[in-house]
Amino acid sequence: MSDTVLALRGLTKRFGPKAAVDGLSLDVPAGSMLGLLGPNGAGKTTTLSMATGLLRPDAGSAWVLGADVWADPAAAKARMGVLPDGVRMFDRLSGSELLRYTGLLRGMPEPLVRERAGELLEALGLAGAGSTLVVDYSAGMRKKIGLACALIHAPRLLVLDEPFEAVDPVSGETIRQILRGFVGSGGTVVLSSHVMELVESLCDRVAVIAEGRLLADGALDEVRAGSSLQERFLALVGTHALGEGSLSWLRSS
Amino acid sequence: MAALVVGLRLRQLGRTLTRSPWAIVTLVLTGIGALSVLGMLGAGIATLRIGVPGLAPDALVLLAAALVLGWAVGSTLVAGEDGLAPELFALLPVRPARLLPAVLLAGALGIGGVATLLALGLGLVGWSVDGGALVAAALTTPLVLVTCVLAGRAVAGVLGRQLARRSTRDLLLVLATLLIIGSGLLLQAAVAALSALGSPAEAIGAAAEVAAWTPLGAAWGVAHAVAEGRPLVAVAQLAIALATAAVLWWAWARSFSARLTAPVVASGGGAVRTGTLIDRLLPATPVGAIAARGIRYRLRDPRHIVNVVGCALLPLIVLGAGLAGGGGASAALAFAPLLAILVVTTMVQLDTAYDKDAVALHVLTGVRGTHDRAGRLLAIGAVAVPLLLVACVVCALVAGRPELLPGTIGATLGVSMVVAGIGTAISPWLPGQAPGPESSPFGRGSSGGGQALLGLLVMGAGGAVLGGPVIAAAVGALWLPWLGWLGLAAGLVLGGLAVWGGVVVGGRQVDRRWPELLAAVSRED
Repeated sequence: MSDTVLALRGLTKRFGPKAAVDGLSLDVPAGSMLGLLGPNGAGKTTTLSMATGLLRPDAGSAWVLGADVWADPAAAKARMGVLPDGVRMFDRLSGSELLRYTGLLRGMPEPLVRERAGELLEALGLAGAGSTLVVDYSAGMRKKIGLACALIHAPRLLVLDEPFEAVDPVSGETIRQILRGFVGSGGTVVLSSHVMELVESLCDRVAVIAEGRLLADGALDEVRAGSSLQERFLALVGTHALGEGSLSWLRSS
Repeated sequence: MAALVVGLRLRQLGRTLTRSPWAIVTLVLTGIGALSVLGMLGAGIATLRIGVPGLAPDALVLLAAALVLGWAVGSTLVAGEDGLAPELFALLPVRPARLLPAVLLAGALGIGGVATLLALGLGLVGWSVDGGALVAAALTTPLVLVTCVLAGRAVAGVLGRQLARRSTRDLLLVLATLLIIGSGLLLQAAVAALSALGSPAEAIGAAAEVAAWTPLGAAWGVAHAVAEGRPLVAVAQLAIALATAAVLWWAWARSFSARLTAPVVASGGGAVRTGTLIDRLLPATPVGAIAARGIRYRLRDPRHIVNVVGCALLPLIVLGAGLAGGGGASAALAFAPLLAILVVTTMVQLDTAYDKDAVALHVLTGVRGTHDRAGRLLAIGAVAVPLLLVACVVCALVAGRPELLPGTIGATLGVSMVVAGIGTAISPWLPGQAPGPESSPFGRGSSGGGQALLGLLVMGAGGAVLGGPVIAAAVGALWLPWLGWLGLAAGLVLGGLAVWGGVVVGGRQVDRRWPELLAAVSRED
């Protein structure tokens, strides 16, 4: 595929004896919105950390628009915007200060940063909280300011770890609109989620990983092959059926 | 229930130790520190016991009162990271009456509790001046310990809601820092006041007599009264001590029960003034942005405020102590600002560690290592240099030796820059560890851990070797004033070179080691 935006090649990471990600390869074509699915502990966050330069892989490589994340990090990082999950922010800055900070770290000219920061705060419903410290934000507001930070330099690739977690439905719809517009104009999105319905309604590609390995990857309809994504996902990763007598004490009568 | 909660507590303590080898190094160092304090206490008590046995009971009452006060004040500082906070039990169907004794017992198990028990045990050596007093003291020792733990729990419990407000916590931390930094001076003032009252022995006796009637010292006041052969007083003070414990228990139990159903939630401080002055003064580049953020953090984050306050006050406190110590203004006072270099060393060394995993933003945005290091040093310089200059000028003027000023400025700024440069160069390998943004700077890990100590040694040795000639020139200015100007020039050149070299060396390594650096400072233990 010539227009691959994100290419992962044999990514491997071990924590002690356990391989969190095991020889994972994945191609994300331009203009697609890929939903990365997997049960808890499947290695989603580890994979995204290695793809974005936060965690050095034991083996394998990651490429963003032809730039090797680990050989030429500056070029690769300039082309992607990232929303990490479960990572602290500089939360003693106010929302607008954090946005300005991120823009300047990216080397953007200040007038452009100011203009975009204002628009982003407005669009994400954070305009009223611009001068509140991020440490006082709710979980959903933090997600939104994190997303704004990932967007401010107009990247070609967005890597979002659980972007809809704790976000209220109204803001969620705004984020969907933003992402759809972004993909419509040729941008590429990789997002991880646990919510199958959300991925089905938003993404056009799906990748399923479990125990650090890629189980399925392709267009949404290809992967779900006639059934619902939920059913297909369970078939891939294997359900954990309850035995006949287990938890019988929980049945109240 | 008690066995269960105590088991939980022991496991919590065990976990903090087995997380990383550096934690064990830190524990050993903390242990050595605690043992040396206990050793000094023991030596003091033994000296008192042999030398002035008549004074021993008075001093021991004051010791017990100080311990209770210490627990009460200390608990407010570490309230945020209580592993036995009532909220943690809120979902369990257990009545407070069963929970309270268990939590109290578990609370006594810890470094603080063990150290207090050892200190009280040493105190019994002092009580051996009188048989009856020894028996009374031994019997009331558990009461003192219980009062200590209860005082801590009750104060933290009653003030729980206030302590949960960030502004209160920040303010408390800064006040506590002032207190700790100024404790030497306060002690000196107290001693001076005591000696002004007459003979120190009489003053200690008077203070103990008062303390023995207060809730703080009443428990060992009993033994004090027995030693003086006043049984009625002993009974009255025992009543006070028991009433104190009862009231503390009642207050703590009330707040504990209340918090089981109405948990205290940490709350914020609302909007901040987002002035643009800092942004306008600094260039709109990555270096400028990192410097502006650093300056903002030094005004907003208590962990940084503590360092800034320390940097500003340490020289002035030494100056004050020198003046209070008598002998008038001596030329040595002009060199007091050199002490602030210690604080600068810590500021530079732990700067990345204070960010914890928030520094991931720098990694994600691909900030160049040299820009990152330069921005951080610029922020520290913008805050520290004015403070150091003021300290130099004030100290030189008060010492009455303004002609020493070029030398002391050269030595203070020069050596500061040298250690800053060395610290920046080694920071990719030894970033140290810092308490998290929302935890107490006096809590676990506040010393930066064993790794930070190693870094500190490297910086100290390097600073002494490279900065030695500059300090020598500043001292030499006492006899040959032109040496001071030489020191100023040499200090600025040498310091400038060290900072430049540190930024280049450290920056290149940061570029190579970003993920490892991120992992090192993100670790929570």
